[in-house]
Amino acid sequence: MKHFDRDRCELKSHCCTSIITLSVAILFLIMSLFARRVKDNRPVEQRDPGWKLFGKVPPREGPIKDPKKVQKEYETKSGRGGPGNPTSPRQSVRKNLDFEPLSTTALILEDRPANLPAKPVEEAQKHRQQYEEMVAQAKKRELKEAQKRKKQLEDRCKLEESIGTAAQTWNQEILPNWSAMCTSRRVRDLWWQGIPPSVRGKVWSLAVGNELNITHELYHICLSRAKVKWKTTPASSAETETEDAGCSDRESSLELIKLDISRTFPQLCIFQQGGPYHDVLHSILGAYTCYRPDVGYVQGMSFIAAVLILNLDTADAFIAFANLLNKPCQMAFFRVDHSLMLTYFAAFEVFFEENLPKLFAHFKKNNLTPDIYLIDWIFTLYSKSLPLDLACRVWDVFCRDGEEFLFRTALGLLRLYQDVLTCMDFIHMAQFLTRLPDLIPAEQLFQHIATIHMTSRNRKWAQVLQALQKDHERGSPVLKH
Amino acid sequence: MQTNHHKERLYKILVIGDLGVGKTSIIKRYVHHNFSPNYRATIGVDFALKVLNWDQETVRLQLWDIAGQERFGNMTRVYYREAMGAFIVFDVTRPASFEAVTKWKEDLDSKLTLTNGKHVATVLLANKCDQGRDVLTNNGIKMEQFCQENGFVGWYETSAKENINIDEAANCLVKHIIASEKDMLQSEVSDTITPQLEKDKGGTCSSCFRSQ
Repeated sequence: MKHFDRDRCELKSHCCTSIITLSVAILFLIMSLFARRVKDNRPVEQRDPGWKLFGKVPPREGPIKDPKKVQKEYETKSGRGGPGNPTSPRQSVRKNLDFEPLSTTALILEDRPANLPAKPVEEAQKHRQQYEEMVAQAKKRELKEAQKRKKQLEDRCKLEESIGTAAQTWNQEILPNWSAMCTSRRVRDLWWQGIPPSVRGKVWSLAVGNELNITHELYHICLSRAKVKWKTTPASSAETETEDAGCSDRESSLELIKLDISRTFPQLCIFQQGGPYHDVLHSILGAYTCYRPDVGYVQGMSFIAAVLILNLDTADAFIAFANLLNKPCQMAFFRVDHSLMLTYFAAFEVFFEENLPKLFAHFKKNNLTPDIYLIDWIFTLYSKSLPLDLACRVWDVFCRDGEEFLFRTALGLLRLYQDVLTCMDFIHMAQFLTRLPDLIPAEQLFQHIATIHMTSRNRKWAQVLQALQKDHERGSPVLKH
Repeated sequence: MQTNHHKERLYKILVIGDLGVGKTSIIKRYVHHNFSPNYRATIGVDFALKVLNWDQETVRLQLWDIAGQERFGNMTRVYYREAMGAFIVFDVTRPASFEAVTKWKEDLDSKLTLTNGKHVATVLLANKCDQGRDVLTNNGIKMEQFCQENGFVGWYETSAKENINIDEAANCLVKHIIASEKDMLQSEVSDTITPQLEKDKGGTCSSCFRSQ
């Protein structure tokens, strides 16, 4: 660029021009366009040391002109002295192109070559005005972006700091005194804010508990049984499978696990064949089919096991997995107890109508039943439909509050997207809810969840559920699908 | 569902078949024109909407992508309601998924009939044909016989990955849905309709058969 600046100076003093300098100017334009695209903040002359096209221009040594100096020069030149001092048309700007202002300053100062007719005064002035607007806008934008970056950095630091202190609190105060503290107001509040990833697994384990009294030994026994089964069933058991196809699909659980593992968080690339957690996930799911052959493998389990694996050691993950699935709501779903599932949906609708009557009416009008979106959300405990970090936060409070929080989260999501949903028809709502946006604002979602009240006519979730179950046993038509 | 006066038709189409045969991939290819080996397992049901121009009319296809695990059967059968057509998909590299095709078809027919008492148009898709051919699908005559016996209006070897035959299969299904809709309207309009025995209204598609 040096030589170009030099060239330009000479050009000004000698008032002569050549085709070469013109083409250099065009190249400069193109370059500055590139520079803008790349958002490179380095000085122009460093941007592309290998700018070979300039080889045509005889290289010259000369002082590098600071763009700011050029700008200043421009300002003094461009009639800041007042309207009585109109700039010569020869000093007009080239064209109104939206380039990085600093790098185009020099060009703005550029006169038209002598062999071309000069620009009229009005045009020159107009161009100058446009240029000034451009500069002002760019400055504003830069300032805004810098502020935004600063804010982001500050937020991140703050977040990291708060996670750090929270982890300390959990490790040093809460976990050692778990049974005494876990129900305290302070711990519950801290819990709501999200458990720090470093203690998440421990807290989940404690909160889920081990009602089933599963030991690490039992896990290993179940696993070795599963391994024996894998060996006895041929790898691609296509032929044999057809023979015992009638046996119930629980027997082919092992085959299904294989198919599903690679489809569990595929974007993380850790559960897939050859990935570091492929075998762990396979082991836990296989061991579970031996631990609970009556349940077997059901789709959705692979997601739950995967989230646990990410937070716990293998055997502890298995213990949490088996205990989690043993909870009434999970058992109802994973055993596909249809009537009980319908009871859950009906209870959900009671709170839906209570909390979001307008949206509820809109769903009813469009025949959008809750099973359409709840099945996926409940079966995978949101780990498939929400971003993983957000899903973990939902799990945090699910471990604290139990099944009702799963339905409360659903209502929070519906409340968060209430405005968009009310403008949609059936298919678009169904599509939206079965494939939620990639970016869901965590804080906002939790604020919406917080505003959902899980009481209906003074009855809590469990009471509503129980009442519906009784109704159902009496054969109420309410639950007819 | 019958919005002929608007020159717009809306059809609900089911996509069913065993777990992992590529139902979601087929839909993604058909609707979004892309393929990824990284689809997550479908739990419950997923949805997609495809808009087609069909003889100067707009045809909207509501695609219901239903989870393949047999266990979900009770839960997902309710989604069959009001469907006008179906794809039953199997994976050519997994013969067991082909064995399941008859089960899926019987299940579909037992749960769903059109107002004229006929079964909904169903096309059989032999998916993942890019991964080597199955002995069975190699035998076109046998497959056609299978379709005829089981009441499929046609079958296609498809690959969502390589984009083979997906549009063709969908067009075949839409054609049969429109034909069966006309058939239904006729039987509704006049009581004194002459029975049209074994008459193929579908027209030219060689691999298309009418059930019953």
